[in-house]
Amino acid sequence: MTEAATIEVEVTAIDQVTPLIKHFRLAPVDGGTLPAFSGGSHIIVVMHGAARAHRNPYSVLSPPNRLDAYEIGVRRMEESRGGSHFMHDSVRVGSRLQIAHPVNLFGLDKIARKHVLIAGGIGITPFLAMLEDLYGGPVPYELHYSVRSPEHAAFLVRLRRREGGRVHLYCDSEQQAIDFEALLGNQPLGTHVYVCGPGGMISRVAAVAKDCGWPDSHIHWEQFSAPPVGDAFEVFLARSRISVHVPPDQSLLESIEAAGVEVPYLCRGGVCGFCQTRVLEVDGELLHNDHFLSEAERASGKTIMPCVSRARCRSLLLDL
Amino acid sequence: MLVTGIKSKPVYAPLRYDAGGRYHVMLGQEVGEAPLLRVLGDMSGSPEALARTRVLYVPLRAAAAGAAPAAAFGGAGVADVRIFGTTAALLEAFRDLLGRALMGTRLYVAGPESFIGLAMKIALEFNLNKDEIRAEECGTRARRVYCIHCRTTTENVRTNIVTCGGCTRSLLVRDHYSRRLAAYMGVMADAEVPGELPPIREVFA
Ligand code: FES
Repeated sequence: MTEAATIEVEVTAIDQVTPLIKHFRLAPVDGGTLPAFSGGSHIIVVMHGAARAHRNPYSVLSPPNRLDAYEIGVRRMEESRGGSHFMHDSVRVGSRLQIAHPVNLFGLDKIARKHVLIAGGIGITPFLAMLEDLYGGPVPYELHYSVRSPEHAAFLVRLRRREGGRVHLYCDSEQQAIDFEALLGNQPLGTHVYVCGPGGMISRVAAVAKDCGWPDSHIHWEQFSAPPVGDAFEVFLARSRISVHVPPDQSLLESIEAAGVEVPYLCRGGVCGFCQTRVLEVDGELLHNDHFLSEAERASGKTIMPCVSRARCRSLLLDL
Repeated sequence: MLVTGIKSKPVYAPLRYDAGGRYHVMLGQEVGEAPLLRVLGDMSGSPEALARTRVLYVPLRAAAAGAAPAAAFGGAGVADVRIFGTTAALLEAFRDLLGRALMGTRLYVAGPESFIGLAMKIALEFNLNKDEIRAEECGTRARRVYCIHCRTTTENVRTNIVTCGGCTRSLLVRDHYSRRLAAYMGVMADAEVPGELPPIREVFA
């Protein structure tokens, strides 16, 4: 994906919806219509910070039939390398950003007989758009939304206004927790479960569903990893014949891009598999942070997802 | 006019117990009894799994009926065994069961392909997918044949050419299988030169 494929947008509204989450409305600067998308899609937002550009994935939370603007929710991450802080601190109404076309890696199953949606915190955002697709349709669904405390329950008014009894809220502060065993142990055949939230919640849902006998094909989850900070290392790109320095606070993908080499990507969060790159040689250890590769692929040491993964090595040779 | 190599012909594998499932529903017709008993044998070490297993079985032939199959399944440790007089009654009970079944259910089907096809058709209505269904073909290879001209399904077809039970056309039985109809497609065999048919042979014994 090249920068040419991005769309120039203007921030037309910002709302602080919880102490940690801001809600942004992004409209095309040319006043036209944005590309169509389906519930569960995300966009990559390109932010030009003072020191460098950030490219972060955010779920589109606005209704899929509204294409005059996309809405996103951004949580301020404690250990942000800058993307979420930039959105919170530097972006104002009237600011300009670039976005990539929406991509859906978290769509609803088309033939499901029931949908169970489970959100933790900011993980509510993809479901807001999905619910628009489900509302009024023939397929039953329910949403289980877990937050720290009532003040952290973003978009609750919007959810309750329309979805009413199908929304179940759980607040840690009130010692309320989703009973995953009861929830997943009592669903009719043909149900699909979707979960978006903290890593611990996703692995818990996946483990309980498996325990209840759910096949993997009925379990869907989305979690974009932020590229972690790590030690600096050097990488040599075999086909481009250049060597690239990867500093501690920049991802491998970002460093390669900064050197002028394009790597295809869709999510920049270790989920889609698009950026997968062949490792020709490594003198050291690959540090995998993605959700895409299998255990066996990781162990092989022959492949890496540069959007989120790094290496602790003396040298790394990539097929790029 | 050879009709081989068509991909839609289903392939089956020997049934095996799937310990990943929480509930187990087993359907058998006629000689399908043996594969089901084999799976139940594999489950003998897990009484909890056997307690969550239901068997629906139709013997078909009078000789195989009576108390024998119920006793055999009961002997394997299954509490919930139902023996049916007709396939239609079994399928009706099966549909009813799936309507109340929970996620985590695994389906095991053993019997002739025509029986498997009918069971799969119902399973599909409930969005069960390949991870949740296992089927083993045994017994007669006779086919259900759907006439693409008059849409009648002719049962128990053993020959390469069959007279359609609806429109009496001579149908060539193809390997093209429809999951939705649970039948093989039958197309007019003498469309080019009326009355000119290839030799009729028994091919689905
Ligand atoms: S861009 Fe999606 S996994 Fe790297």
